[in-house]
Amino acid sequence: MLDSTLSEIEARALSAIEGAADATALEEARVEFLGRKGALAQIGKDMGKLPPEERARIGRLLNTVKQTLEERFEQKKAWFEQQALAARLDAEWLDVTLPAPGVRLGSLHPLTQIQKELEDVFTSLGFAVVDGPEVETEWHNFDALNIPPTHPARDAQDTFWLENGLLLRTHTSPVQVRAMERFGAPLRIIAPGRVFRNEEVDASHEHTFYQLEGMMIDRDVSIGHMLYFMKTLLEAVFRREVTVRLRPGFFLFVEPGFELDIQCLLWRRRRLSGVQAERLGGAAAVRAGASQRAARWRHRSGAVERVRLRTGADAAGDDALRHRRHPPAAVGRPAVPPAVLRGGLR
Amino acid sequence: MKFSYNWLRELVPGLEAAPRELARLITMKTAECEGVEPYAPWMEAVVAACVESVEPIAGSHNVKAVVDAGPEYGRRTVVCGAPNCRPGLLTAFVPPGVTVAGGKHVRSIVIQGVESQGMLASGAELGLNRDSAGILELEGVEPGAPVPGCPVDHVIEVDNKSLTHRPDLWGHLGMAREVAAITSLRLADPVREELVPQGEPAWRVDIRDFDLCPRYSALVFENVTVGPSPLWLQARLEAIGLNPISNIVDVTNYIMAELAEPMHAFDADLLHGNTIIVRRAAEGETLEALNGETYRLSPANLVIADERGAVALAGVIGGAGSAIRATTRRIVLESACFDAACIRKTSAALKIRTDASMRFEKAQDPANTVRALARAVELFQLVSPGIRLVGGLVDSWRRAPEPEPIELEMDWLARRLGRPIGKDEVRRILESLSFGVEEPRPQVFRVTVPSWRATKDISIKEDLLEEVGRMVGYDTVPPVAPLLPAQRPWVNEERLFHHALRQMAAAQGFTEVSNYSFISEEMAARFGFAPEEHLRVANPISVEQSLLRRSLLPGIHKNILDNARFFPAFRLFEIGNEIHKSEGNQMPREVPHLMAAIYTRGDGREAFFELKRLAECLMPGCETRPCEPRAYEHPARAGEIVWRGRALGRIFELHPRLIEQGRASVLDVDLAEMFALGPLPKKYVPLRRFPVSEFDLSVVAGLRVHCAELAARIRDAAGPLCERVQYLYSYQGKPLPEDRQSLTYRITLGAADHTLSSEEVAAVRAAIIAALEGAGFSIRQ
Repeated sequence: MLDSTLSEIEARALSAIEGAADATALEEARVEFLGRKGALAQIGKDMGKLPPEERARIGRLLNTVKQTLEERFEQKKAWFEQQALAARLDAEWLDVTLPAPGVRLGSLHPLTQIQKELEDVFTSLGFAVVDGPEVETEWHNFDALNIPPTHPARDAQDTFWLENGLLLRTHTSPVQVRAMERFGAPLRIIAPGRVFRNEEVDASHEHTFYQLEGMMIDRDVSIGHMLYFMKTLLEAVFRREVTVRLRPGFFLFVEPGFELDIQCLLWRRRRLSGVQAERLGGAAAVRAGASQRAARWRHRSGAVERVRLRTGADAAGDDALRHRRHPPAAVGRPAVPPAVLRGGLR
Repeated sequence: MKFSYNWLRELVPGLEAAPRELARLITMKTAECEGVEPYAPWMEAVVAACVESVEPIAGSHNVKAVVDAGPEYGRRTVVCGAPNCRPGLLTAFVPPGVTVAGGKHVRSIVIQGVESQGMLASGAELGLNRDSAGILELEGVEPGAPVPGCPVDHVIEVDNKSLTHRPDLWGHLGMAREVAAITSLRLADPVREELVPQGEPAWRVDIRDFDLCPRYSALVFENVTVGPSPLWLQARLEAIGLNPISNIVDVTNYIMAELAEPMHAFDADLLHGNTIIVRRAAEGETLEALNGETYRLSPANLVIADERGAVALAGVIGGAGSAIRATTRRIVLESACFDAACIRKTSAALKIRTDASMRFEKAQDPANTVRALARAVELFQLVSPGIRLVGGLVDSWRRAPEPEPIELEMDWLARRLGRPIGKDEVRRILESLSFGVEEPRPQVFRVTVPSWRATKDISIKEDLLEEVGRMVGYDTVPPVAPLLPAQRPWVNEERLFHHALRQMAAAQGFTEVSNYSFISEEMAARFGFAPEEHLRVANPISVEQSLLRRSLLPGIHKNILDNARFFPAFRLFEIGNEIHKSEGNQMPREVPHLMAAIYTRGDGREAFFELKRLAECLMPGCETRPCEPRAYEHPARAGEIVWRGRALGRIFELHPRLIEQGRASVLDVDLAEMFALGPLPKKYVPLRRFPVSEFDLSVVAGLRVHCAELAARIRDAAGPLCERVQYLYSYQGKPLPEDRQSLTYRITLGAADHTLSSEEVAAVRAAIIAALEGAGFSIRQ
């Protein structure tokens, strides 16, 4: 008789669990059937009146039913919780396409970018990066580099003179002199910086532009070494193989002087778009050993290379030289005594 | 400088390289060629023709001519408008289908009812000279033959800048010598020096300043006939861009283009006396030049004078008063050498740039003057038959010391070049360029420099390295990495510091700009900077750029105005040098500064504090102290930036009168001072083991009491347990009186060794309140 009651309770309980509309209804069903005063508890009490064998059998049966119901109940309860969580999270919907607030990254001037890149290349090759003042003495800018007083470069049409007889450096070469004085030989430096020429501004001229000049003093520096550094520099900048062509070029008081032509393939959208040939500034070996002041350096030899940086105007093609402007040189240093090596450029 | 290919070929017999190939060789070994242009290519088709008959065409000044154009074109009828078209005339015939000078295309067409089967051409139409008055008149040529002396040519244009150091390359002979050396051919020198007459000169030369005129040579000619040059001479000058004028002048120009020696012919009958005087001009002396201008001279200018006065501006331009005329019978032909710097200065000062001055300013070879005269003797006889020399060579010079031979060691050469090279090759190269080569010791050459390379070009062994290097070809030198000790280079910390600051500013949304170092007086005045505090450019490009900036502000201000037209808000920064004038002629102080700015259309408050945030990113823990505003600063929004005890710069809003719409805040930091402080020491603190206690306090204060002042009072009063005093917010309005605000702070207390008891916290709170109330503030409950 208890058997049939138990079956009936189980059937009712299962249908109540299945039919529960929400978590509250489910809890009510749990209390009704599984609670301390629920239907199954009542059976447990009634069971005490049965004979021991029968009591043991009904007890097992009761446990089975209780276990089944508890399992179903837990399942249903978990389902309701999951539903509730899903609903809550759904309510937290974000429009992920909304723009992020706040400021964006700024940017570095193109000249800063290329300058840093060039500095890093040369630093990795063991060159020191040296600065010099933008306002220079005539001595450092011209005399020390062996540019004679009668040379047209000293004329007003090329040089910005200041009222006190000083001038704005027309090239980075005065830094050579200052660096030699400071570091002695052997020497490996680059001197990047802002330089000035008294020229009207047009598509291919600027009165303010940037040069990067490299200089190496050591025993037996050869043209082949200079060529190597130029090629290495260009390949680091272009990140591809560059063909260089060295040919004679005239730069003032530099022997020998060269022009360097470069050529490399430019790729765009995985399709060969063209061959870019660009003429780079001068490369040269400093004319050495020509003066008495050069005594200390007589058995040394120097090499200079110089790249002229300019924005826009002479960068042909979007992936061309990436001419960039870099910041002007840093702090002025006091004038140094006469240089020990003659050399100069353009 | 333009070079005629045909001319070079005459000077280098056997030259086979085509014009473009020759240009490439010259570029790779000598100087940069800018282009190769064919000259008068139509001359290939143009032939001589004989006019057989001429008939007038009714109602026209044109005539119908029948010409014999030789076997290929036969008898042709042409319509011709030239006044000199007459029977028996030998002239030039252009067949139909040929395009001549100026792009004129010749076709067979009917003109005024007559079919014209070609064209009879003038010198101008054929581009051989500038004569368009009539058709060419030829002599001694068969109909159907090419026009004599006017073959198709090519013009190779070489970049003048790449010839700056090579006076000899301003003439064809010099370039021909290079070509001969490049191609291993022989150079044919056109000069026959034996033509120079010996004997007593008919004229005298008085050089007053040998520094400015090391040599003056001349010849006197009589029985001169002045007229047009032969066509070949005109065509050759025309090809290289020189204007044919008359036989005498054309010969001087021809020799200039051949030997690089500018010459000048005076009409001897227009000179006074028979002495050429070479002297500095008197102050205010005037000269009417060949170009029709009258120049006022100074002692900086060198003149050629007769006993009455200046007759030419030495090395630059001749005078009008003694110029060759149609009636000239006697000439004095000058061939001289002048100081390069003097010519350049005169040419620049008087703004006269001539073919002569361009050559003399490259330092010409004094040894060349007499060679040029010898060449002139020969050519004058060709162009002015019957011309006679009068007397011997006029020649005055001060010889420069012979240049010292240069010693050249073969192993040095190879090491510097970066490739091995045999001594025979070195000798061949040097000798082909006319250097004298001896070998006094094994593997060491003693090299003598030819006179035309010794004036300024070659004096040391590095110069010879260049000669050998370019001739073997720099493309034969392999790029090789030098073997060097692995030393760490000196590190430019300051430059790295600037780079790091740039990165930081860019990361905070600032765009880097780069402004000129020049500003105008007006810009300086706008910010209250006195113009005399600036270094001034003596020769500025314009008044807009006459001062050197002693602040980055004018440039940044301009950037702000320029960009405000396009963007409602932006941030920018610059790192650049301020240039500060020093006493007297001392080097100025160049001080790197960082200037950053934020522009907005709002009331500027937010921009100011955003910029202050940048300052705190760059200088962690820096303070902004109230300060006296400057003229260009918003009078109530300016502060001084103090970091690690040093005043490093300012932060301010730009005075609203300097900006039409919107507001801009500016941060200015002295990077030299900042760098001098060195990197911020790093400090590590362990995590606290005991919890902290926090409480908030709202302090009622006057409206302009500084937040930092109250915070400092709280911190002082809180004593050693004070962990942090944090400003939260401020409040104005009811129930506070109108002239009061409340500032709320959160105070955090803690101890390293125990958890604070509520009594300890209460004691600190009471101490703070007591201190504030003691200072006249009240606490809002």
